[in-house]
Amino acid sequence: MPVDRLVKIMASLRLMVVLLAFAILLVFIGTIAQVDEGLYNAQARYFRQWFIFGINMFGHRIPLLLPGGYLIGTMLVLNLVAAHIYRFQLTVKKIGIQLAHAGVILLLVGQLATDMLAHESQMRFAEGETKSYSESGLHDELAFTSDSGAGEEVVAIPGRLLARGGDIQNGNLPFTVRVKRFWKNSEASFRAPMMKNEPPLTTNGVAANFNFHVAAETNNPDDKNVPTALIEIIGANGPLGDWVVSGWTSDDEMVDALRQSYAQQMGPQMAQKIADQLTRPQSIEAGGKKFTFGLRPERIYHPFSLELLKATHTVYEGTDIPKDFRSRVRLTNPQTGENREIEISMNHPLRYAGLTFYQYQMNAGDAAREAGRAAFSVLQVVHNPSWLTPYVGCAMVALGLVIQFMFHLVGFLSKRKTE
Amino acid sequence: MHGVAGVILISSLAGCNRDEARVYHVPKEASPPPQPAPAATPEPTAPETTMPEAPASGMGTPSSVAMALPQLKYQVPEGWQEKPPSEMRVASFAVPGPNGQSADVSVIPLPVVGRDLELVNMWRSRVQLPATSDPNAVNQAKPVAVGAEQGWLFEFVSEQPLIGKSRQRLVVAMFTRGELSWFFKISGDDAIVTSQKEKFLQFLKSVSFAESAPAQMAAAPAVQNESAAPPPSIWTIPSGWQSVPPSQFLLAEFSVPGANGAKAEVNVAEMGGTGGGLLANVNRWRGQLGLGAIGENDLAKLAQSLDVPGGKGTLVDITGVDAKTGAPTRLVGAIVAQSDQTWFYKLMGEGQIVAQQKDAFTKFIQSANYANAR
Repeated sequence: MPVDRLVKIMASLRLMVVLLAFAILLVFIGTIAQVDEGLYNAQARYFRQWFIFGINMFGHRIPLLLPGGYLIGTMLVLNLVAAHIYRFQLTVKKIGIQLAHAGVILLLVGQLATDMLAHESQMRFAEGETKSYSESGLHDELAFTSDSGAGEEVVAIPGRLLARGGDIQNGNLPFTVRVKRFWKNSEASFRAPMMKNEPPLTTNGVAANFNFHVAAETNNPDDKNVPTALIEIIGANGPLGDWVVSGWTSDDEMVDALRQSYAQQMGPQMAQKIADQLTRPQSIEAGGKKFTFGLRPERIYHPFSLELLKATHTVYEGTDIPKDFRSRVRLTNPQTGENREIEISMNHPLRYAGLTFYQYQMNAGDAAREAGRAAFSVLQVVHNPSWLTPYVGCAMVALGLVIQFMFHLVGFLSKRKTE
Repeated sequence: MHGVAGVILISSLAGCNRDEARVYHVPKEASPPPQPAPAATPEPTAPETTMPEAPASGMGTPSSVAMALPQLKYQVPEGWQEKPPSEMRVASFAVPGPNGQSADVSVIPLPVVGRDLELVNMWRSRVQLPATSDPNAVNQAKPVAVGAEQGWLFEFVSEQPLIGKSRQRLVVAMFTRGELSWFFKISGDDAIVTSQKEKFLQFLKSVSFAESAPAQMAAAPAVQNESAAPPPSIWTIPSGWQSVPPSQFLLAEFSVPGANGAKAEVNVAEMGGTGGGLLANVNRWRGQLGLGAIGENDLAKLAQSLDVPGGKGTLVDITGVDAKTGAPTRLVGAIVAQSDQTWFYKLMGEGQIVAQQKDAFTKFIQSANYANAR
């Protein structure tokens, strides 16, 4: 019977061996590809795929059709489940084996769920600053903010839409956003007053004082692509002008980098003035409302806020080697009335409201003093609904193996006793 | 079967709403703290008040930014050579002196700053004076006439001769007019700057500003440049050298072809102050040839003196293996200190061609007329 045959193939040990061989090959290819494509791109291209069409190895493109990470993982789960059903024996003696296999299935499914559902963001704040949102390290958004009386209404257009170009409309915006240019990575430089500069991209807003250039995309995980777009805003009665929106103006990390570089050339005071020019908000009026807008890292707002009370960066005596990063924060949640202080350090994350806050980066202590800036801390904010699955899966595998071993041990001992 | 259902469920959940604009509401308390910006930040729809607009071009300029730019006028003192304005400078002069010495004069406008200690310390570092924390240092400036208005004059002189040469002196006049602080600066060897100080003060007195050039015309430098000349060449380029566009941080770059496809490269860089010092730069070059760092004692043995306009330079000749290509390579490098700048010359390539070109290279360095430099 064909169904029988199919189940037999799905449950076969041979299929598992083939799948594991593909998995080994995929890990090898993906690891090599990171050199050229970078960590994130390699993960997205090889592991978060059902199929891979062509691979890049050592700068060469090889036309190959391979199963991607999702396909291999799913097939492994199906293989295990099928084997379970096909060879299922409901005996007490086999319960250990069953439990261990169920644990492996949970590990596989949990990993897939983590990959698809988990997301990471960062919360960066200086001492004394309070934040109720975290920011994506990978994605950007063009945010139009308007006053709604009790607060702000935000319309956030994902960077991916800008990258496609063309016109973008939204029911909550009384205008159309036309993307004239989009650069995934860019450079910004100050247009010194009255210098023999190239013409600005536009004379509105930030572009009047800063030049923006396209830059080569980077795949280095230590570097960052800073996008810039030239947009035209078209209202009901015609164009409202061209504007440059850029990650350089709103990404604290990049603004800080630029400020540092100018501080070396022309002193901290001037550098601060230049940075202030860069971060000055841009706005337009349309439909009787004022909209402030900018391209910024994608924000995830939380119903609670954290205030950085103290950032502590200790080093081993007489060296620059970090010994400990520690952030003392105050958590305030108006919904629950919580207001408490918490210490987050390298191996002691804060778990709260389904999120985990890990200590990620820090600039405090002598390092911050020498650089002449306020101490700041960056927390990695991880939302992973399936964070428990690896713990439960491993416990099930361990328990299953112990039970299986105990059956053998008891059997062996009683056999010896009767002899 | 639960596993399969889980996978399908997860796939469908993950796929939704990735490419649509999000609309959400942020309560007042949760809005982000303001940027550390100055207290008054006018919105950019109105003409800016804290910094002048950069020159506008003809690309659809909205009328709101077509604002007037002040134009700087002055009389060039006798003997000063006007240089083309560069990135930060609206006016720039070379002041040649005896023995090939020269001083450098610049005029730089920047957004308004006050007299403060950071500025003083920045200038002090230019002549290698230690930073001071004495707040009175800013009050030691003397009043000086800049055109019809009053500015402040700061003067600094190095405690020791820098890089085996004479002491360096820096005289800066700053004054604030409207939205800009203007910095007029003369710097160079103590003797020449001292002898030119009177002319410098006369130059300051001659400064005036003409208002209102329409912004559309301002794509050219906004300086009334009555005696502008094309930029003169700094060196005499040896025959056979091909000038190539210099990469970032370099001032000039040449390709020197030899027999059988052999090639060498010459490049020139200029840095403020000592550029990190002789030893650090020689060790940087050694690193490029895969050689380890040396100390002061070994440097003294390796370095040769080179006669250059206005004094002596230092020449090193190193042979090793190009750290990038692995090919045997020879490097002849020269470091020449000039007023408050240091010039770095490098000839690098295959041993044979470098040997053939070494004479031309030293002549090239000796041909330099730093008064023509930017």
